[in-house]
Amino acid sequence: MPDCDDIEARYSRRALLEAGLGIAAAIALSRSLSVHAAAAEAQRSTEWRFFSPSEARTVDAIVAQIIPTDETPGAREMGVARFIDQGLAGFLEPLAAAFRAGLQDFETQYRAHHPAGQFASLTPARQIEWLRQVEHTPFFESVQQLTVLGALAMPQYGGNRDGLGWKLIGFADQHAFVPPFGYYDRDYPGFAAPEPGP
Amino acid sequence: MTGRHYEDSTVDFVVVGSGAAGGVIARELAVNGFSTVVLEQGPRLTPADFEHDELKYWFLSGITNDPARSPQTFRSDPSATAVATGMRPPLVYARTVGGSSTHFTANYWRFHEIDFVERSRFGSIAGTGFEDWPITYAELEPYYTKVEWDIGVSGLAGASPFDPPRTRPYPMPPLPVKSSGVLLERGARKLGLHPFPAPMAINSQPYRGRPGCIHCGFCHGFACEVQAKAATLFNMIPEAEATGNCEIRPDSYVVRIDTNAHGRATGVAYLDAQGRERFQKARAVVVSANGAETPRLLLASASSRFPDGLANSSGLVGKYLMFNYSSRVGAVFEHELNEFKSVQVTRIVHDFYDSDPKRGFYGGGGMDARIGPQPAIWAQRLSSEGPAWGAGFKARLREFPRSMQLACHGTSLPVATNSVSLDPTLKDAWGRPAVRVTYKDHPDDLANARFMQDRGVEIMEAAGAQRVTRAAIRESNFSVHLLGTCRMGNDARSSVVDRYHRTHDIRNLFVCDGSSLVTSGRGQPTMTIQALAFRAADHMTRFARASDI
Repeated sequence: MPDCDDIEARYSRRALLEAGLGIAAAIALSRSLSVHAAAAEAQRSTEWRFFSPSEARTVDAIVAQIIPTDETPGAREMGVARFIDQGLAGFLEPLAAAFRAGLQDFETQYRAHHPAGQFASLTPARQIEWLRQVEHTPFFESVQQLTVLGALAMPQYGGNRDGLGWKLIGFADQHAFVPPFGYYDRDYPGFAAPEPGP
Repeated sequence: MTGRHYEDSTVDFVVVGSGAAGGVIARELAVNGFSTVVLEQGPRLTPADFEHDELKYWFLSGITNDPARSPQTFRSDPSATAVATGMRPPLVYARTVGGSSTHFTANYWRFHEIDFVERSRFGSIAGTGFEDWPITYAELEPYYTKVEWDIGVSGLAGASPFDPPRTRPYPMPPLPVKSSGVLLERGARKLGLHPFPAPMAINSQPYRGRPGCIHCGFCHGFACEVQAKAATLFNMIPEAEATGNCEIRPDSYVVRIDTNAHGRATGVAYLDAQGRERFQKARAVVVSANGAETPRLLLASASSRFPDGLANSSGLVGKYLMFNYSSRVGAVFEHELNEFKSVQVTRIVHDFYDSDPKRGFYGGGGMDARIGPQPAIWAQRLSSEGPAWGAGFKARLREFPRSMQLACHGTSLPVATNSVSLDPTLKDAWGRPAVRVTYKDHPDDLANARFMQDRGVEIMEAAGAQRVTRAAIRESNFSVHLLGTCRMGNDARSSVVDRYHRTHDIRNLFVCDGSSLVTSGRGQPTMTIQALAFRAADHMTRFARASDI
């Protein structure tokens, strides 16, 4: 995020130091830097903490159909499966037992219809076809919610790798902004006083 | 931190809660020379602790009541058994020094004159406790002005033809308009309405030692790391401590108010960070713990003398819980708005504020143009409103910069069965009875929400939206506006506190926070809660000086 440092520096000097709050701001910024370092560390890890390798393949295949990869990265490149794995082993631990039961049920149902193969090995079209059968199950809905979180939560949690989720939706990871903020406020003429009494 | 330590002495006032109301009352009492101790459930955090971390703040109860330790139960049918809720409790508030003023959105419109006298205007409403307030807008006006100047509110006086009378302009100009505000203004004006700049408790320029807003976009549900948003943590609390008369004691969870043989409060029992019970003696007790925790504490303080809880001779402690029913309209435009930048709200419409019997229901509201939440929460809401996976979902995610929301804040009627009570079986991590919430929207609340949403759709269409969506109007099971549960009134049989926030039953026990509200207003209650708190502190001061506490 090279472009945000400039604005952060400018703002922290002008708005914060002038008000005598430079130390607090400096701590906030250094904390956010250490958070990013921890994120990079988490994403380099190759060990799964909660999933077995086979479970991880299935979950990665499902999330890859929730935010698919096209000309731009999808949930797979964003590290969503890694986020879910780390979460269920830690900060989302209350969901872990229900998630594993749901995942096992997903596998069991799939094998009942496809004794030979694995969901993760199907073509995307066949995967979509199967997911349409199960999209209203609590398990799929929870994978969907965790996919959204894994794509867009701060990278320190293991997903949103390189800010790819934020890039997809057009969110700018900067600490401060200046007006104009968007297209419609660019040429705003100023607030016109209202006519007297409704 | 600075300030006094009063642990072993009898102080003039002990204040339970350090939030929007408790922070104001502590500062006023301390400035007026009274020894004051503030007990706060949560920790004391510093700006360096505040991050733009959606997962932590919105999903993992980062600074709010954590359901893993403070579970709640919910039911919509008062005859049913309430069931424990999951990761999102029904009533949410920040559990930290500064209370919910640390994480609020900081919308600071004043209630209108009509809010205080609607029962006289419209008559009674069957099945509700719809009442006039014991005070009028005119009595509260000086305190609204005090909030604007002491807390710090940005706005433009005279911009709204619906604004109630005021004695001073705002101390700061409005914050810079955002694209959502321009579009609301455009659509509303086309329809002959009167949009105006939003009053916000966020500095548009440096004010009273705090800097101007840097437009980071993380107000709603987050704490402000630059202190531009007016949490009591950044203004009232340090000002109280600077007097030398006030001690803020964090990690102090008040579990009981004790009374003596004369029926007077003697102080409060609380658990410290290690879970040890301690006692703070005081000449008077002020409860400002919020609309959920305040009635909970009064009910949990039941004794042989007060078997139904303290200050509860009316039976109304915990009753008449009100939420401010809020409906939403989503809109997508051709060009980028980039609503993730800057404060939530820059323009408001109050044309539908008053209730109108011709509509066939009681209710009114205020609309504002806003970001809606930040990325992850926005995308989660999106998931509930259309295709939630696949190429279609990905395409909708890309609309984030071109999206906005119109929030339609409305009324909730006071219904006696809507309540906070003590769960008969579930306990929190400290062994105290959990909060049980009973709530079912009055039909008029839902009718008003639909009416407001229809008007919102018209405005967004008039503004030229490419696509307008309606968030489903469902029955409430969640709120951050916790109102009405210890209502004010002149009659001890139909209210908990009098017009000075003194409980009818115990002369040296005061209650002031969202629980004091008699009607819900149309949302944005913190401004009014703080005006009430400044006024209550004036009267507490008067009583204390007359040895009448």
